[in-house]
Amino acid sequence: MIAPFKWLTKSHIYEKYSKDPGNMLVHTGVIGWFLSSAAQIFAIAINDKISKKEKMFLIPQEFADAVVNCVSFYAVTNSMKSFGKKLTSSAKLRTPAITKLLEERGLVLKKGAERAKDKIYAGDWDFNITKLDDYKSAVENTYKPFNNGVEVITGLVGSILSSNLITPVFRNYYAAKKQKQFMTYSENNQKLPAPMSKLSFANYQKLAASKPYTGNLKV
Amino acid sequence: MVSVNFISSIGKSVKSAYNRMPSVVVKKDNIINGVAYIGRKWTSPQQRLILGATAIVMQPYIDWKNKHVDDKTRKVSVARTCAKIIAGTATGFALRYGFIKGIKAFSKPFSEVPKDAKPFAKKMMTWLTPKNMDPNDMDALDQYRNAMGTIWSLVAMVFTNFLIDAPLTKFLTNKFIAHQQKTEQKGEIKQ
Repeated sequence: MIAPFKWLTKSHIYEKYSKDPGNMLVHTGVIGWFLSSAAQIFAIAINDKISKKEKMFLIPQEFADAVVNCVSFYAVTNSMKSFGKKLTSSAKLRTPAITKLLEERGLVLKKGAERAKDKIYAGDWDFNITKLDDYKSAVENTYKPFNNGVEVITGLVGSILSSNLITPVFRNYYAAKKQKQFMTYSENNQKLPAPMSKLSFANYQKLAASKPYTGNLKV
Repeated sequence: MVSVNFISSIGKSVKSAYNRMPSVVVKKDNIINGVAYIGRKWTSPQQRLILGATAIVMQPYIDWKNKHVDDKTRKVSVARTCAKIIAGTATGFALRYGFIKGIKAFSKPFSEVPKDAKPFAKKMMTWLTPKNMDPNDMDALDQYRNAMGTIWSLVAMVFTNFLIDAPLTKFLTNKFIAHQQKTEQKGEIKQ
């Protein structure tokens, strides 16, 4: 298999996503938005019932939608997913079964008990349940289903925030700005034709005709 | 190096605040089972459906409240946003769901292939089965199928976005605009 397409092989997809469904949702979500936006721009361009003026707004809107959506989807969804993972891997958010496993290892600081100096407890920023010596043999089966669920839920919340709140607000602002720019540009182009190298009478007539509101020809 | 010290002090404060936050132990079994179920079973079709359902509630409202554009453009924008969400969610969900279901038929574990199956059938049944799969972890195989089905559906979307999404969005946009115009005309007549 050619190296650049290695990520599309069955083994690579199994290795990468079989244990991490949240990651798959983020990566495929970004590609999905990109493809969808390309089609939407095409849809606006071919729709003859939408006026040119509206297209001036809608096409930049869709382009902005694509850029902001892809970037914010990845950034926000990934950050939310990472936050969810941090909560579960540091055992800040856990189930009674996980608590029991951690208590057996003396990793849970009891209420009112004093912290041992330099000891990292469950729930601390630096605590990572997956780094426990017996993680694979004794902890993974209890921890993994809960962690995967939290990652999918936080990722989903992130994708809702990015796609349905951040993107529409930004794209509308950007597209409106672009529409104004386009309209100013087209108005200027109508009112001010390209300068003529030599002002002949014929050219003068053309210039006058390009301004329909000019009542009389003044020489 | 003030900036490095500043960043490091912010990092320490965040860590310290995080450590002081009480841990949360989720005790209700139905919540724990629900979370585990979502992690195991919810994948890209469900994600697309939820995104679509929340989008139809939030996005048209945001477009309607956009004061940067004139009334007519805003109305067309709302109509198109609704059409886009409906078309995108319907095709996105159907394709993802269909491909994930389809992939299952071609990614059977090697142990599940009947011994008396014909060579071609055997080959097709395991066409997309990864060679490095763990035969004892069926959840991992399911997640792989979800990922593979989603990737295939994205490839299909290159075509369906143009063949189905775009014309459907156009059709629905025009329907919604016509509906808006009818409602406005009725309003004007009443006035």
